[in-house]
Amino acid sequence: MNPLSEQHILKSRNQIKSIVLLGVTTFVLALIAMGQGPYEKLDIWTTAKMIFGFETPTSTEHSIIWRIRFPRILMAIVGGVALATAGALMQGCLGNPLVSPLTLGVASGAALGAAVAIMLGFSIIGGPLAIIGNAFLFALIVVFIIIQLGSTHSVSAESYILVGIAITFIAGAITSVLNYFATDEQVSQLMHWSFGSLGRVDRDTALFLTIPVVFLVPLALKWSWDLNALSVGGDEFAISTGVNPAGFRKIVLVLSALLTALVISFTGLIGFVGLAAPHMARVIVGNDFRKLIPSSAIFGAFLMLFADTLGRTLFAPIIIPVGVMLSVIGGPFFMYLLIRSKGR
Amino acid sequence: MVLSSIITVKNLRFGYPKNEVLKGIDLTLHDNELVCLLGVNGAGKSTLLKCILGILKHQSGNISYGNVAQAINVGDGNTSSQSISSEDLDPMQMARYMSYVPQSVKSSFSIDVYDTIMLGRRPYIGWSISELDREIVSKTIEFLNLEDFAFRKFNQLSGGERQRVIIGKAIAQSPRVFVLDEPTSDLDLKNQIQVMKKLKILVSDENSPKAALVAIHDINMAARFADRILLMSDGEIIAGGTPRDVLTPENIQKVFGVTSDVIESQEDNRFWIHVKDEIGGELEDKHVIWEHQNNEDEG
Repeated sequence: MNPLSEQHILKSRNQIKSIVLLGVTTFVLALIAMGQGPYEKLDIWTTAKMIFGFETPTSTEHSIIWRIRFPRILMAIVGGVALATAGALMQGCLGNPLVSPLTLGVASGAALGAAVAIMLGFSIIGGPLAIIGNAFLFALIVVFIIIQLGSTHSVSAESYILVGIAITFIAGAITSVLNYFATDEQVSQLMHWSFGSLGRVDRDTALFLTIPVVFLVPLALKWSWDLNALSVGGDEFAISTGVNPAGFRKIVLVLSALLTALVISFTGLIGFVGLAAPHMARVIVGNDFRKLIPSSAIFGAFLMLFADTLGRTLFAPIIIPVGVMLSVIGGPFFMYLLIRSKGR
Repeated sequence: MVLSSIITVKNLRFGYPKNEVLKGIDLTLHDNELVCLLGVNGAGKSTLLKCILGILKHQSGNISYGNVAQAINVGDGNTSSQSISSEDLDPMQMARYMSYVPQSVKSSFSIDVYDTIMLGRRPYIGWSISELDREIVSKTIEFLNLEDFAFRKFNQLSGGERQRVIIGKAIAQSPRVFVLDEPTSDLDLKNQIQVMKKLKILVSDENSPKAALVAIHDINMAARFADRILLMSDGEIIAGGTPRDVLTPENIQKVFGVTSDVIESQEDNRFWIHVKDEIGGELEDKHVIWEHQNNEDEG
């Protein structure tokens, strides 16, 4: 075989090894996270044995593992994978490293929805899901605006970003007005929602959210050639390799925004992971989207698990919300990685 | 030998409101032919190439691709000898038929040179890379002497190196037609000649019929390598034919506004254009305006 071909295969194999290693590390971290909690008998080792069937849990222990701890861990993984994949996709198809899943204004829409539910008492569904339902509805309105924008003639990557910024300002302003007239209790309720937490999700919801993520990640992998073409050479270059940039961008953005809306309606605002995970993955596997997407997804899960576990254990029994923890520990780590990779 | 036409453009028009860029272009491209497109900035060369590639949608006229069905394995056997209009092809089929080297690329995230050239195989690849794809890419890298930076990042290369990589991508695409927009603009002298020579080799291979349409500024490069030259001015093709027929001092004066001599080589059958000076003394006129403005400022 041609030595260049061999070198290419070798390099590719090494990158896949790194991704597998990252996956294994994340899995171990998930097991460790399963062993954390106020019920001390269920430590890491005992929980792991029970999960793999080497020890039979009592019915209380079974409930703690599968009804309390597992949904949270699953939500961390699913949320991390969803936001990080959406982030990688959006950065790629808009050709901009500053883009995150919140750039298009989905989060501001969701926050406005939550504010309307809390402060005006208006919601499409009543009961305990009022805030979540409203957040999702308002995020959907933003997705609809993106679809409309994508249907106009010759829309550029920049227009999406600028419209996203405009939506963020408009929704933010309305939320501020609502805040201004709200009671202290309402303000703190909105604040609480926006912190970003994994504690609000029960097992069925977490499993339900897993379904779209399971569909999106393979789809994202299928798109990786088109993303490579767009990010290496821009629109005209991509067309010459058989991509239809406008149509592609629209479908990628709409699906990413939908997934983001779904996740943050339940968890609140978790933005950082969608920006940072793809960049961290880049340091390890480079920009080739065929490898960047799986490693971003795993990095996303890793970051969420790490931040949430630390948030739960550091000042236990006080729980620091995952959104806050992510920014506090992820931010400096992210800066370190960027500085290190630029220095090379 | 009967030349079969692989691209036929008839009365092609394209424009923006208040600005017609292409004013009725007719051209035919044949197998085993390297055609150079010459003209001043803004004559419409890049626009014409982009219309042919389907990047820009022309407003009237017709572009058809001959033998396209055969070349890209679409349709049944009966259609193989007919030409197909540009509207009937999807982007992936277009990409198998024509490959493009743009004037510049807008790179936001870059990947290895090897993987960049691999993008040329994208119209043929489902998701995973086959041994054949790797073989083609590796051979293309050797063909263009890009081995030294095959595993470097695309954006760490110099402008000229990048241009050669994009040409590599176009070659790996194994198209029927190469469409190149100033492919030598960033290259040093040696690489300019090498790239044109290699393009000529690819196009001249009678076992695998190919053609190239190249927009270029260097008239001597065109004189040396082109089988045919099309001279464009203000959205129209005003002269077409062999380099000797087209590159006359009169034509050059008309299109580029410079005086020139044709110099015959003593050793072989070649000739080159010695460009002398611009006509009309535009600089002097500008100078007058400049002085005039200065006087007004003082007044």
